[in-house]
Amino acid sequence: MVSRSSALQVVDLDQPGASTDAEQRILDAAVVLVARWGVTKTALGDIAKEAGCSRATLYRSFPGGKRHLLLAVADRELQAAIAALVDAVATADDLEDALTRALVVSARLLRDHDAAQFILEHEPGLLLPFLGFHQVDRLYRRTAQVFGPHLERFLPADRAEWAAEWTARVFISFIFNPREDLDLISIDDARSLVEGFVIPAFVPMDCQPLSTTRLLHPPTT
Amino acid sequence: MSDDARTRILAATVVCLGRYGIAKTTVDDAAREAGLARATVYRHFPDGKEQLIAEAISWAVSQFFAELAEAVDDAPDFPTLLERALVHAHQAVEEHVVLQKILQTEPERLLPQLSQSSKEVQEALRDYLADRLRSERLLPGVEPVPAGDWLARMGLSFILAGGRWDLSDPRQVRSLVRDELLVSILPAGVREA
Repeated sequence: MVSRSSALQVVDLDQPGASTDAEQRILDAAVVLVARWGVTKTALGDIAKEAGCSRATLYRSFPGGKRHLLLAVADRELQAAIAALVDAVATADDLEDALTRALVVSARLLRDHDAAQFILEHEPGLLLPFLGFHQVDRLYRRTAQVFGPHLERFLPADRAEWAAEWTARVFISFIFNPREDLDLISIDDARSLVEGFVIPAFVPMDCQPLSTTRLLHPPTT
Repeated sequence: MSDDARTRILAATVVCLGRYGIAKTTVDDAAREAGLARATVYRHFPDGKEQLIAEAISWAVSQFFAELAEAVDDAPDFPTLLERALVHAHQAVEEHVVLQKILQTEPERLLPQLSQSSKEVQEALRDYLADRLRSERLLPGVEPVPAGDWLARMGLSFILAGGRWDLSDPRQVRSLVRDELLVSILPAGVREA
């Protein structure tokens, strides 16, 4: 379902991603160093040293330099997160369960990712190309396209995409504005949001003709 | 008088930010634009440029929301209030010369500044909406504060990026507000009035 080279396509790779063992080692090393020092202070030389390879090897694998390498890191980490999320959603019992799992798994993946945590805390400006005003639109669009199909077990395609986008909005909101009394890593907390505020907008599939959207035909009660 | 001078300096700084950007605006620029002595600016902002710019941005943000509150204040009911707020805020962001200029030229300097304000904005919006919700007939089990918090989050999310929703289209905004965001909060009769 998830195409190898895309990772939500919020990162723009003009070069193919890493594939060889050496390249994976370089990406691993970059993740370790970013978690420790951040993006700005991590130099290519340090990454080569940490990965146990020469600078020449590193440049052969990532001819675009630091930017290329770091985008490859982001792409790989996102790819892994998407795969984990798709797994979590695939085994859900119903829509509420699926959206709750998506929030909890996203929150836990982020919490446990030291490099992402460092950037969020100390270098949030770096996220702007992906999360800034118009750029975040792209993230929502890709989330809808990638995760929408996995919610079609519960909803018509258009509603499924919208449910995915909505869940992404909830997640992004809570990253940048945590609520002291509510933590998305808690299943009960995430479920209370989904159950309380999202699910009511999604009527069961058999109550709504598949071919219509609510926008074109607002339901009359 | 002192508050006046302070506001004048903040407004002048915002003008300078639109003209020169965050990196290049200086205390001297702000003083000149405000028509005040450099020393006066330092009296109000003793830490200099960094403090001045941070406070100017947070002032501009609160101005933005004060104008938003004013624009929607006479809405006849809660769903209409939310609709007007989304339409107005979306348009105000698009037409905000200073914001748009900085977004184009120095986005990496703006985000950290805006995230400073974001908690405050979220809480102010939550309280404002919760207050309005107290005089509404809510669905059973819905509490004004968590509902206000939710709507503030979703409102901000849509102001920043419309996604699949075109917020310049009143029909779409109506559907977003009444068929999606408020379904869990207000009874159908109130939403469709």
